[in-house]
Amino acid sequence: MLELKNLSFGYEPQHLILKNISLQLGNNHQHVIGLIGPNGSGKSTLFLNLVGVLRPTSGQIIVDGQPVKYHKHNLQALRQKIGIVFQDSDQQLFYSIVQDDVAFALNNLKYDTTEIQRRVQEVLEELDIWPLRKSPIQYLSGGQKKRVAIAGILVLQSEWLLLDEPTAGLDPDGRKRMAQLISHLVARGQKIILSSHDMDFMYDVCDYFYLLNAGQIIAEGTKKTVFTNQQLLENNKLEQPWLVKLHQKLGLPLYNNAQELFDQHDSM
Amino acid sequence: MLSIDKYAYSNRWAEWSPLTKAGIWLGLMILAFQPLLWLKFSMLVCVAIITVRITQVSWRQYVKWFYAILPFLFLSILGIVFTVSQQKQDLLIACHLGQTYFGLSKTMLPVGAKIGIQAFSAIIGTYWFALSTPFTQIISLLHRLHLPDNLIEITMLMYRFIFIFIESCEQIYHAQKLRFGYDTIGLTLHSSGILAQMLFQQVIVNYRKMELALAAKLYDGEFRIS
Repeated sequence: MLELKNLSFGYEPQHLILKNISLQLGNNHQHVIGLIGPNGSGKSTLFLNLVGVLRPTSGQIIVDGQPVKYHKHNLQALRQKIGIVFQDSDQQLFYSIVQDDVAFALNNLKYDTTEIQRRVQEVLEELDIWPLRKSPIQYLSGGQKKRVAIAGILVLQSEWLLLDEPTAGLDPDGRKRMAQLISHLVARGQKIILSSHDMDFMYDVCDYFYLLNAGQIIAEGTKKTVFTNQQLLENNKLEQPWLVKLHQKLGLPLYNNAQELFDQHDSM
Repeated sequence: MLSIDKYAYSNRWAEWSPLTKAGIWLGLMILAFQPLLWLKFSMLVCVAIITVRITQVSWRQYVKWFYAILPFLFLSILGIVFTVSQQKQDLLIACHLGQTYFGLSKTMLPVGAKIGIQAFSAIIGTYWFALSTPFTQIISLLHRLHLPDNLIEITMLMYRFIFIFIESCEQIYHAQKLRFGYDTIGLTLHSSGILAQMLFQQVIVNYRKMELALAAKLYDGEFRIS
């Protein structure tokens, strides 16, 4: 369980980017937590605080009941527990060949070679990129690079996975595969926090939401509570997903995802 | 120049052992620098034909790859054969300024031609190696030669990031060109300056992003190379 207690952060103390945030992540009913908010609302800064890259100006982050400590070995442990994948894949792939890059974090932890090979193979197969294991990274598509970047963190088998804008720059197929990947990971027990401006995507994959604006949590709740409040979303420069619009404007039932709607339609 | 990299991965000899290829390359260098001119010349022709065959590149493209190098070669040879003399008969094509003649030296011309062929054969041989050997094989070769890990690490990172650097350079260049940034010489100078400045700024920003990603992957100051 991750807990933020009165967390504030600013590069300068008089200009806070995150203001007095308190929340608990990882209650029983939360598997994929969505962080939504307009540009500059503090989503990425919150992520960087969670992995200990940035240190809160005040307040605390508590992981499994223990406050985060900022010594080198504590941070190593924290980053094995909470993995993060950034938006720009090119900036986080350092090796020229896929399998070397995916093994990077495990090499840093000095795992033995057989264990590294086993985990790399497992993750590459899980992400459906095993055939690309020997490919040069510069010739992969955006979607493939994104998968390699995620694989590089998944090998750590961290309890939490933070995904910053995972669908940015992906084509519709890449976006669909990302949604499938997230539900696959969740099904095998991975806890995920993701941020995105793609409201339809977020509505489809997340089961709990936090709305962040100007460094404060404006609202939180399930799909239903957050997305049915049109005024709230518009005030925060966001949009309702099309499934919610169908529900509110055309009076259709509120479906959890597009598949549910089409399945319903087929059975009629 | 980067298309060379693609051919290196897809040519017919890509799977050959890097040690064999390095051995052949060494042999080609010896052939290029041995004294027999006819042998240099036959090596040059054969290797060029083999290179085009195994990479299946068009002759036109193959010749284009030499455009970057030929001016240097030409200038170096010019430096050898161009000379100043008091006697006209020493020179092949001469023009005079007062009592002094400028032109191509008769004695140096064969030397210049020999060095030219030598350098060109060596370049052809090296292009064959570059076009037939994927980068990963070059890294494993450096390993087998027991070169220092730091050197191999830097080589690997440069290779990885040169593509990103060229890509952003191209993006900025196209954006400038589409807004007429290179229409006149003055504008070209101005736009090139902005391009250099933007690339520098991007390097700094990208460095920061890389640092974050390295922290997420528990980087401890060393890139391990298998």
